Amino acid sequence: MMSEPKRLHPAAMIFNTIQAIRQTIFGFLPLVILAVGNDMWIYVIIGASVLAALIIIFSILSWFRYTYQLQEDQIRIHQGILIRKKRTISKHRIQSIDLSQNLIHRILGLTKVQIETAGSDHRIDAALSAVTMAEGKKLHDQLKYKKQVVQEEEVTETTVEAEAVDYPQKKITPKALVIAGSTSGSFGIILGLFGLGFSELESVIPDRFYNNVSEWMFSQAMQVLIIFAIIIFIILWALGILTTLIQYWNFTITRYDKELFITRGGLIEKKQSTIPLKRIQAVGIKETLIRQPLGFATLYVEIASGEIGQNQDMHTLIFPLIRKSQVAAFIQELLPEYHYQTEGMISLPKKSIPYYLFRLGILPFIATIVIAILFFEFAWIPLMVTGLACLYGYFQFQTTGYLLQDQQLMIQSRGGISKDTALVHHKRLQSLKKKQHILHRKQELATLDTAILNKFVGRHLVVRELKVEDVDKIADWYSYRINS
Amino acid sequence: MREQPNERIATDAVKAWQLTAHLFAIIPLLITIAAFVIAYFFDFLSYWVGLIALAVTIVEWVVTALIIPKLRWKRWRYQIYDQEIYIQHGILIVTRTVVPMIRVQHVDTQQGPILKKYGLSTLQISTAATTHEIPALLEEEAADLRDQISELARVEQDDV
Repeated sequence: MMSEPKRLHPAAMIFNTIQAIRQTIFGFLPLVILAVGNDMWIYVIIGASVLAALIIIFSILSWFRYTYQLQEDQIRIHQGILIRKKRTISKHRIQSIDLSQNLIHRILGLTKVQIETAGSDHRIDAALSAVTMAEGKKLHDQLKYKKQVVQEEEVTETTVEAEAVDYPQKKITPKALVIAGSTSGSFGIILGLFGLGFSELESVIPDRFYNNVSEWMFSQAMQVLIIFAIIIFIILWALGILTTLIQYWNFTITRYDKELFITRGGLIEKKQSTIPLKRIQAVGIKETLIRQPLGFATLYVEIASGEIGQNQDMHTLIFPLIRKSQVAAFIQELLPEYHYQTEGMISLPKKSIPYYLFRLGILPFIATIVIAILFFEFAWIPLMVTGLACLYGYFQFQTTGYLLQDQQLMIQSRGGISKDTALVHHKRLQSLKKKQHILHRKQELATLDTAILNKFVGRHLVVRELKVEDVDKIADWYSYRINS
Repeated sequence: MREQPNERIATDAVKAWQLTAHLFAIIPLLITIAAFVIAYFFDFLSYWVGLIALAVTIVEWVVTALIIPKLRWKRWRYQIYDQEIYIQHGILIVTRTVVPMIRVQHVDTQQGPILKKYGLSTLQISTAATTHEIPALLEEEAADLRDQISELARVEQDDV
């Protein structure tokens, strides 16, 4: 199994270059804008070409100095141009190996290999930015399976399909993706980017032209502007749907014995990832404000460590969109260790309503008083906000609840704007707190606060103003003491 | 979780907290003095500012040095079982925490200059996601507890 030290595919140089440019560009952008603003094009061009040359040289050198070597039960990586770094990752420490391909990878028949270890220390993880597909598969197979299982290693193209028949699998339909895209908040993000891009453009467009256009805009009738706004809105919405389609096209999740296997993409980037079951800390069902009334939800899991190079998402999505009525069956099939059931859920006592109204309503209420004193005729605006906040507080109250089932705690809550249901196993709860202040003690209420581990920090699952006896019941369930 | 924990922290904790509060009271005191000095030499600051600052300083000092430490000590309780650590603290909001031994990742003891003066140290218990503290235990007691907890926590951990 021992092999010679190998270099990555030469295409890795391209990736090195792209990455280096991406890293430096933001640092230099202000300088460039400043220089362009002062008509110093020539310096910009010289500077840029010198920088580009340096980056290219460094990319080539770092490719040249980067080698990896597969050994008996470990992988060894040597890297660094001046400072040599040697890293050995033992096979037993490897949690998962992900293969992913972006557009360039796919054109050249390559793949990126990400090796992830347990724990939150990202520096231990490794990523081979470009190897051939065959090599990637080989690495995956050799590092993934421990010796005793080697006989049954079978993740070659042909056997994957044979396996798929036996293991539960779910695939997203294009229709569901369209719904997901049109109900996602992502067009808000695009709107932001659009605005940002527009404000950047402003400094590039010649003043005269800009003035003419804005004059024309303001001279138009209101109706035209409204139509214009609606058109832009629709375009952004369509873009939102498109990005969702690209991102989650062919999203497929398969449950194997000890892991969840997710493949997605096909339009631009292809990605496969494995989530070992023992790393799952909690399963979540999220219903955003837009999706909840339509009866749709998103499924995610909380896992114990971060993926390198991933966006800062706290959750790992396991299904982009599913009908609420199918969630229970989905979890039953793919994650039978967990149970989703809302019947028998214990909600909050009526006497906790005031707390929920107060928490959300107090700030706008104070604002109302202040504005009522200063500008009485506008007081209705914050008053309306107060009303909405209280209404939302009431929704929060209504949503919140918990359910204990054997080894699982389910907590339903509404923080932010989404309804979130988390399923956690007893052994995944890191600690448990019961909090009471003076009023709580008088009213026999208490707040429950438990923590689970997720990507970077702990996530706290909090249920405010439960009945004391309920919190005590959960605490007794949680306690490891035999005679509590 | 109906009964509160049995053990109390060291009685000297009150003294240590009081000393900390005295030291912190110096900051508003300096601001007060500065206010008076400025009011004396320049016109733009009235003596009222200084008087208000003085009142605030005194109230802050009385509350943090004379009232809070005793209440806090009275509330602070803990108990170490073989299977879990049980902590109670908080003056207005009373928090009771359960940390199972098998979730404990590591235990530290800590000692700043003020705690050292009274021969106390703080015990810090970390799980993968949270950190918990038992402040101001007698030095030897803290060390013993630390060793005891790390011994108890050594029972086989399933990952993370």
